[in-house]
Amino acid sequence: MTDAMTPGPTSEDPVLAATGSVPNGPGEPPALDATHHASALLRVSDVRKVYGEGHTEVVAVADATMAVDQGEFVALLGPSGSGKTTLISIVGGLLSPSGGTVTLGGSDVTGLSKKDLTAFRAERVGFVFQSANLVPFLTARENLLYVASLVKGTSRAQAQARADGLLEELGLGARAKNLPEQLSGGERQRVAIGRALMNDPDLVLVDEPTAALDTAMGRQVVELLRREIKGRGKTGIMVTHDLRMVEYTDRVFEILDGHLTHVEEPSALRH
Amino acid sequence: MNLGAAEVRRAKLRFGLLTAAVSLLVFLVLLLTTLSNALIGSLTGALDALQADGLVYSTTARDNIVASRLDPATAQAVAAVPGVAAVGSVGTFTSRATTAGTTTDLQVFGFQPDAPGAPGGLSDGRLPAAPGEAAVGGGGVAIGDTVTLEPTGIPLTVVGLLRGAQFNALPTAYVDLATYEEAISAANPGLPFVPVNAVAFDVDDGADATSVAASVAGAVQGATGYTREQAVALIPGISSISQSFGILVGLTFIIGIVVIGFFFLILTVQKLRSFTLLRAIGAPTRSLAATVALQITLVVLAASVIAVGLTLLAVQGLNTGLPVSLSPVLIAGTVAAVLAFSLLAGLLSIRRIARIDPATAVGAR
Repeated sequence: MTDAMTPGPTSEDPVLAATGSVPNGPGEPPALDATHHASALLRVSDVRKVYGEGHTEVVAVADATMAVDQGEFVALLGPSGSGKTTLISIVGGLLSPSGGTVTLGGSDVTGLSKKDLTAFRAERVGFVFQSANLVPFLTARENLLYVASLVKGTSRAQAQARADGLLEELGLGARAKNLPEQLSGGERQRVAIGRALMNDPDLVLVDEPTAALDTAMGRQVVELLRREIKGRGKTGIMVTHDLRMVEYTDRVFEILDGHLTHVEEPSALRH
Repeated sequence: MNLGAAEVRRAKLRFGLLTAAVSLLVFLVLLLTTLSNALIGSLTGALDALQADGLVYSTTARDNIVASRLDPATAQAVAAVPGVAAVGSVGTFTSRATTAGTTTDLQVFGFQPDAPGAPGGLSDGRLPAAPGEAAVGGGGVAIGDTVTLEPTGIPLTVVGLLRGAQFNALPTAYVDLATYEEAISAANPGLPFVPVNAVAFDVDDGADATSVAASVAGAVQGATGYTREQAVALIPGISSISQSFGILVGLTFIIGIVVIGFFFLILTVQKLRSFTLLRAIGAPTRSLAATVALQITLVVLAASVIAVGLTLLAVQGLNTGLPVSLSPVLIAGTVAAVLAFSLLAGLLSIRRIARIDPATAVGAR
């Protein structure tokens, strides 16, 4: 289990290291916040994830409740090992929770079979992982086209037009035929954003998108993410432990030791 | 978007080397099989291609046509066995022979034209119809050449060429029974009669050759009947040779398949990160498995084309003294078997892909 349960700041977490913990702002508890979002597209209710049992039991996520509206771009903030990656993995259909429910547009994700979860991830979720994670032997354009091929009924011409449009919009028109190894870190992350948007998903999940980028490039990427997600009316969740990136989000959920603690306005976290 | 084909296109060196390695394995299987078929064919071809349903040897021959000695009158006794439609005497001996100044060993078969026991596999010319004529398999002779039997000095004019009709891996000449008798008499003056080695027989329409052959022993004193297939299988040493080559080809085949399986498993393990990512973004296991299957198919087919080319070159270039030829059936069978078993070996890779946990793409395990 790489998502260790070590609470508190880590050496790779300079901002949190400086503050000593997740900022304890004035935001309200996520469960209470969720009641204000009655028509939320994404609803996470009492989600729990437990690994092991008995003496070896580790609670990775404890009764998490949150609601995110359509068109919202929120941050999930927490130190390494706080459970944020586990939580978005459950939201994105990569992991099954030990308890609780996740609904997206009214559909219960937690009740889906493995096969249906695979289709759910292809059709309704866009992922942007750390370090881009592109398929190394496919060009930028082919990385986008491959995801389109995972959805039945997508015509080749339609997919090509959409891939070309996305790459153009992301400033990668001239790099479409380049392999990932021929792209810079920022360009790779932009291709990953294009791939995440390729199938017009309802939800975009972004995991530490700036982890392999310098600050300036990180800001550019997150700004671009916000523009694309908001501009297309998608719902986005960005996992980060970098406080500098939360200013691009609409709300910030904070998680510590598997517990969603409170929801903040990004402005409340400025130092 | 075909992932498997795209990877092959981008990693030409890697797949090129893999194809080269697989082609050598397929080449080895094809060449060994071809050579073993040629060797076995050159040992058994004469009996295998014989135009007869069965053969009768002397009981003392211990299933060996060369050791068999029968009175020519045995043919009439065999003809009287119920179920036998026609008979023909067959004689054989090994002799020295000279062709265009070159002396070599020659197996000679004497048969009765228009009776059971004529050779099969005529590739050019005609079968001998008169004394002094011969149809020859192997030895590099041409129609019109003269082959002189030594030391009797009997000349044989080559009137036909045969394929797959050799015996004991020697060039084999087929002559009419009169020429055979002349050669035996000349080499063994004073013989009271010229023995034959076998009586070839055909069975009546609808009669079972195995039953008829089995009934010969009871009907003809001092004789044992065999179907043609039994006679071929009982040629001394043929079973051991077939078995040894079978083991050799089988082991090469198995090693080849295991190596192909491991090659693709290594490729799969090297790509686990990409496969995990693809599983995470919604690629079904079956589509990734299809990628591996497609690549195995591409590699095996490309390797087979190269291997067939190499085998053809080797067959033309090798001077084994055997009538070596590459059979289309052997090629198709070998390629189909290599492909089928390679895909089976590819299950190792597919099993590894099926075990991928997509959550590990985000480090959530």
